[in-house]
Amino acid sequence: MASTTPLLDESFLHKLEMLSLGLRRPAHGQLKGAHRSRRVGSGMVFTDFRAYSPGDDIRNIDWGAYLRMDRLILKLFEEEADLPIYLFVDASRSMDYGAPRKLDCARKLAAALCYVALLSHDRVNLVSFADADARALPARRGKSQAPQAFRFLESIQPGRQTGLHSALRRFFGAPRTRGLVMLISDFLDPDGIEPGFALLRRFRHEVVLLHVVSPQEREPQLPEEVVLVDAEDGVASELDLTPSLLSAYREAFRRHGQDIEAYCRKYGWAYMQAPTDVPLEELTLKLLRQEGLLR
Amino acid sequence: MTLPAVAPIALIGAVALMVLLLYLFKPSPRRLIVSSTLIWRRVLRARNRAPDRLRWWISLLLAMLIALGVASALTRPALDALGATAERVVLVLDNSATLATLTSDGRTRWEHAQARAREIIASGGADSSYLVADTQRSIASPRFEEPVAALQTLAGLRVMPWTDPLFPDVLAIREPNLRAWFITDGVAPIQIPPGVVTRSVFQIADNVGITAFDVRAVPGDARRHQAFVQVLNASPGVKRVELQVAGVGRSPMIRTLDIAAGTVAGETFDVSAFSSGPLRALVTAPRDALAADDAAYAYLPPSRAIRVGLVSSGDAALERTLRLLPRAQLLLVPPQRVSARSGVDVWVFDRYAPAQPPLAPALLFRPPRAQWLPASHGDVGATAVTSWVRDHPITDGLSLRDVLAEHALAIQAETPTQVLAADANRHPLILASPSGLRWVEVAFALQDSNLPAQAGFPVFLSNVVDWMTGEPLALKSQPGEVRLPIAGAKVVDLQGRVMSARDALGATLVALDDPGLYTARAGERRLRVAVSVSDPSVTAVNASRLADQPAAPALQARRSNFAPWRALLLASALLLVLEWWSYNRRLTV
Repeated sequence: MASTTPLLDESFLHKLEMLSLGLRRPAHGQLKGAHRSRRVGSGMVFTDFRAYSPGDDIRNIDWGAYLRMDRLILKLFEEEADLPIYLFVDASRSMDYGAPRKLDCARKLAAALCYVALLSHDRVNLVSFADADARALPARRGKSQAPQAFRFLESIQPGRQTGLHSALRRFFGAPRTRGLVMLISDFLDPDGIEPGFALLRRFRHEVVLLHVVSPQEREPQLPEEVVLVDAEDGVASELDLTPSLLSAYREAFRRHGQDIEAYCRKYGWAYMQAPTDVPLEELTLKLLRQEGLLR
Repeated sequence: MTLPAVAPIALIGAVALMVLLLYLFKPSPRRLIVSSTLIWRRVLRARNRAPDRLRWWISLLLAMLIALGVASALTRPALDALGATAERVVLVLDNSATLATLTSDGRTRWEHAQARAREIIASGGADSSYLVADTQRSIASPRFEEPVAALQTLAGLRVMPWTDPLFPDVLAIREPNLRAWFITDGVAPIQIPPGVVTRSVFQIADNVGITAFDVRAVPGDARRHQAFVQVLNASPGVKRVELQVAGVGRSPMIRTLDIAAGTVAGETFDVSAFSSGPLRALVTAPRDALAADDAAYAYLPPSRAIRVGLVSSGDAALERTLRLLPRAQLLLVPPQRVSARSGVDVWVFDRYAPAQPPLAPALLFRPPRAQWLPASHGDVGATAVTSWVRDHPITDGLSLRDVLAEHALAIQAETPTQVLAADANRHPLILASPSGLRWVEVAFALQDSNLPAQAGFPVFLSNVVDWMTGEPLALKSQPGEVRLPIAGAKVVDLQGRVMSARDALGATLVALDDPGLYTARAGERRLRVAVSVSDPSVTAVNASRLADQPAAPALQARRSNFAPWRALLLASALLLVLEWWSYNRRLTV
């Protein structure tokens, strides 16, 4: 169901304009951008000197060195590149749960990150996925593309099962520049999350996982005897809820997050839990900045 | 609670069916849609829970066992292997007077009887119940009780020296597994119903007791009294006994007697030297086993002669009867000397009445008209006594049913005059003053009536004299509940202790369990009650029909105190705890 209210209000967008994405590794964009890259060329950040060769841009000759040493020395600069950003939003049926809905939170979070990225003139690819179905908005750059991106996010409807691996494989089946993959999901994938993550590792993307967590999942309030029906696959599980079973569930849920986080740490990825009961402003302006994902 | 034979099976079946239906129609749990059951499934897998069907069966089994355990406990099953058969046991203890006899071990037969009863209770099934009863018409336990309660009831029973013991009608109870025991010494003549197992507590004992004690005026000298004491030696051998008669005002009189086994000895004592009051006869003998019959009581009336002044124109029957009254000293007084005569205790006026009331109480037969007497209006002819007051001291123990009169005064009775006898037309025939100077007026002359020919005529005169002189009557009784012929009486013993008494249709019922002399008072009336055992059947403590019966062997105590129904309840409780524990861990549904 499409939201009738705008994803982000004006005042919040103004606050976001002060931020930019924080990268841990140099960008590999082909176009000029605002991010550091491994390439040496025209840029603002000095990296090294080398001897002048004919054909070099004479604007980069260090004339001071020439006067002191009587040799033509060329100043080298880090070339600034743009960043391909792949922003995945989980649109499986499990995201259609909780109060507020996990999908709504995921959409807003994606919109905020997308907006920050567009401001940095990064190429933002928006992808919503459920099961093997991945719906993508082609790469956009610049603030002017924000309304289109927001409309795309608003149009996301909960689909079927979570199918992270198949969705990633389908999306990255086409040639994609290495970039930043941001995955916003609850990571409740019946087939497991590791195959999908392995795929991301293979393409050597920089990955940020934003784990959407509903308080109703973290602290379930259930009757003693209940049949739980899985929203995705419809499998029913009869429960005789005891305090020990409940505490075992809490522990398992916590461990689920910890496992994902441990995986991220192992491969140098960023991970952050995004509880749906935490206001979006606090999430973006405080928590994401604390994690270094926004600056 | 008792259940018919088929009821336990029906109850257990119904409970089992109910539990099964409850499980079959148990409402299914709520269904809730959640985002994912992935983690729940992971948790459940890790807990390695038993399959739901198995859990259902375990739960049903536990519930069934609990319900059936409770239901079975309600039916009070009897398992011989566990705690002996559950029975309904009726225990009847003979608590008549001879049970107070001491035995060779220093304990009484009653203590032995109680020990036997405790033995029976101890040997019964743990789930048995007991009804304890005695032979004095009081069922001690109102219903069948558990062993502990039955023992308490038993401890509350005691020997009651009442006469006429009776086997209680407790065998009318229709109960399966009913057993009846009767514990007795076999002395009291009690009819034992068939089917009752008798346990004897009889042991030969030495006993000497007073079987009769009476005080009478010496014939021909009403001022002197003799006491007659009869002593029975019920011991198996000769006994030398000391017999003592004690009274008020002088030292006791003591005699020593040798009495052969099974014989009685009678002794007469001149008790004139004692002052009027209680007399006690006491017999003492070595190794005497029963104390209750060792003392007997009587009342020594005042020895002073009562002077009866007779004013008559000549009635031989009246004169003769008055002369025969004990202690009565008859004085024949002419009518003209009535007012001058003093020292008369009682006047008897035959067809005469002084103009002024005499100074002493008076009995008047058909008096002429006088101011101080009720007015009369002519005569009634051919009349007969048809109704009379029965609880007045004058008519006490007297029947006036056949008293006829050819003529009688038609007396107009006025309140507060008390009419003691009347004819069919309610004409008063005998009247008495209610208070003040006592007088009794008979409406007819003795010559016109058959009253002198009645057997009760001397009693009537004696009662009148006693009533008018205020002499207390003496009543002899045996221990037990005594019916006194006066209503609302307060009864005290020689020490002044008030005895528990209750009214019963114009009489007073009082429990006088101990031998002694008691005084009953109700208004102006006073009655002495001399209570003594004085019963040869009590003194003869060896006259037992069970004398030849060998002593029954001691009963074995029950194998255990294990009551199956308690065990079932305990097991059900444990299973309930198990069910609670397993349910809380969701091992059961």
